[in-house]
Amino acid sequence: MSDIIVPPSVRALARQKGIDLEKLAKDLGRTSIAREDLDGGKPAARPPSDTSYWDVDHSQFGPVTEEPMSRFAQVAAANLGAANARIPQVTHHDRADVSAIEALRRELKPEAQARGVKLTALAFQAKALARALREFPRFNSSLSPDGKTLILKDYVHIGIAVDTAHGLMVPAVRNVDRKGLWQIAAEIFDLASRAQNRKVGPDEMGGASMTITNLGGIGGIGFTPIVNPPEVAILGLTRTETVTVWDGDMPRPVPMVPLDLSYDHRVINGADAARFVSYLAALIADPRRIMV
Amino acid sequence: MSDNHADLIVLGAGPGGYACAFRAADLGRNVVMVDPRATLGGVCLNVGCIPSKALLHAAEVIREARHGDDWGISTGKVSVDLEKLRAKKESIVAQLTTGLVGLAKRRKVQTIRGTAQFTGDKSVEIDGTTWTFDQAVIAVGSAPVRLPGWPEDDRIWDSTDALELREVPPKLSIVGGGIIGLEMATVYAALGSKVTVIEFMDQIAPGADGDAVAILHAALEAEGVTIHTNTKVNNVKATKATLTLSCEGAFEGTIKADVAIQAVGRRSNGSLVAPKAAGIEMDDRGIIHVDAACRTNVANIFAIGDVTGNPMLAHRATHQGHVAAEVALGHSAALDTSLIPSVAYTAPELAWAGLTQAQAKDQGIAYKVASFPWVASGRNLASGGGDGLTKLVYCPDSHRLLGATIVGRNAGELLAESVLAMEMGATLEDVSLSVHAHPTLSETVGFAAERALGTLTDL
Repeated sequence: MSDIIVPPSVRALARQKGIDLEKLAKDLGRTSIAREDLDGGKPAARPPSDTSYWDVDHSQFGPVTEEPMSRFAQVAAANLGAANARIPQVTHHDRADVSAIEALRRELKPEAQARGVKLTALAFQAKALARALREFPRFNSSLSPDGKTLILKDYVHIGIAVDTAHGLMVPAVRNVDRKGLWQIAAEIFDLASRAQNRKVGPDEMGGASMTITNLGGIGGIGFTPIVNPPEVAILGLTRTETVTVWDGDMPRPVPMVPLDLSYDHRVINGADAARFVSYLAALIADPRRIMV
Repeated sequence: MSDNHADLIVLGAGPGGYACAFRAADLGRNVVMVDPRATLGGVCLNVGCIPSKALLHAAEVIREARHGDDWGISTGKVSVDLEKLRAKKESIVAQLTTGLVGLAKRRKVQTIRGTAQFTGDKSVEIDGTTWTFDQAVIAVGSAPVRLPGWPEDDRIWDSTDALELREVPPKLSIVGGGIIGLEMATVYAALGSKVTVIEFMDQIAPGADGDAVAILHAALEAEGVTIHTNTKVNNVKATKATLTLSCEGAFEGTIKADVAIQAVGRRSNGSLVAPKAAGIEMDDRGIIHVDAACRTNVANIFAIGDVTGNPMLAHRATHQGHVAAEVALGHSAALDTSLIPSVAYTAPELAWAGLTQAQAKDQGIAYKVASFPWVASGRNLASGGGDGLTKLVYCPDSHRLLGATIVGRNAGELLAESVLAMEMGATLEDVSLSVHAHPTLSETVGFAAERALGTLTDL
């Protein structure tokens, strides 16, 4: 007897329609198939939706042109829709003083040039995040599909969202907690440039502890990124801005990077998120503490 | 097109053949059905399922009459008029076979009496006349296996002979304790024969659940049937006075019998249609192997029923008949199940489908069993039923039903619920939450499920 529950009449109908029930069950992520599933079984990763909002003849309002969504873009859209629909997400906003990191980068610039590696702020952010994930293991976890088990990861891989011509890609830098800044910077540069040419292998994506999405080079003062499942949080960065900080009565200009952490509220509570981001901000402000 | 051409020719008019012919006709095909018997219906209607059930009903009436004393009902000595009983049985068979003629006529299915043999993949010869066809369905069934080394003797019967009810032998030996042998034991024991059943395997009704078989075994013994399991008949001697069966195994010795019935299984009739002439592959047991859509290796030729091997059961043939007709007409169909119920119409009846406990264990399938003994069934006691058992095999994780065995009065009817439950993927919860009428024997299925779930309050 098959492991999939399908009534005889539905088995007969599937045969007439040429539907492979084993495959359909797998696609739907289900152990039973009903008659209505045979009417174009919808994949699980599609957002539950009434698409009639988009069923509009736009040309009645003015001239339009059409452009097909690439297969890549369609998959990404389905995944983002599912992530947004299924994860109760909250975004926590904070900022971190990057004076020390900027000073260190300036100091190391000659060495970076000698090594041929650009020591980016993002490398520091990844390293600090890796340390914070070790300190807060719940942020380095995933839920089981049935939501009954939390899987805690004893490794730290950081996903780097890369904006490419063909769409968003997220390669992962492995074991960031065990690597030095030179290596992290070099690997991010390598993965990002290969992603531009779609030369990143499937084994180089996925499995991340958390993803960083960095808009710092473009602009913005904050945003609400969408958690990249099965991860439980994503860290968004926007452009570093020099803000006025008051030391008592004394105003002081401080370069601050905005930190936006969107998290899966099923796993992480607001207080934990605040503690996590405070800790991360402190590591960024004083990178010596990453080593401590 | 010549006069002797059939769009679809069905060889055999048994339960598989006529189901196939009628279904194809209903779908609009011109169908010709060929069978050597004078009447339609094949073994099942003429010398199998139906006449045996008529005799088994008579046996039950006799037993009930004899056991009436407990209820204060006395009938005196029960006498049986064999001739009248035979006539009654034959009238039932005639009613059904005549009914089939009407069904065939209504569908304009042409029936030819004769024996067909292939002469090519588009032609058969029917008693010397050549017929051409576009498509053919082989449904020629099976015949009782004859044991080698036995003498030729009128007192050695097969199931067909036994159903003729020529006489009630004082001492009857039945070789083979499968379903057919046990049904004959039930009939002749009630009619007054001293019956001995000899079975080669370690239990009667081999393949059935051991706990259920133990109940049937005890009931047969209580009716005076002697049963030897793990016993083989080595030699049979026929003298004028008696037949002598020499046995070895668990029972060593000789058994004297006035009549011996061979009930050791059935053999496919595949070779009778000369399948090789059409290029159809057949194995050395005469079985023509088919896929789930009942296709042979030859594209336009199908095979259904006993000729395609085990289980050789009418209801499997009927379903295959519909499948073959539909596939022949270009529909998508298949025999898409392994759930073919088995029923012994003994007293008590024994019925099962799906996995038995032993099969689940042998196949390494995770399982649990739940049973409900019929001593706790009000309906069973109130209707004078003997011992019985309803036993479910289920998956311990999903609680889905994997198999069901029922022994007791009307077990064959009671099994249907479990078969439907298994086909629908029902769980113990589904079965137990379906309201079963009280008091009924069908309650025992719900009770067994409740027992597994710990919600039973009737035990």
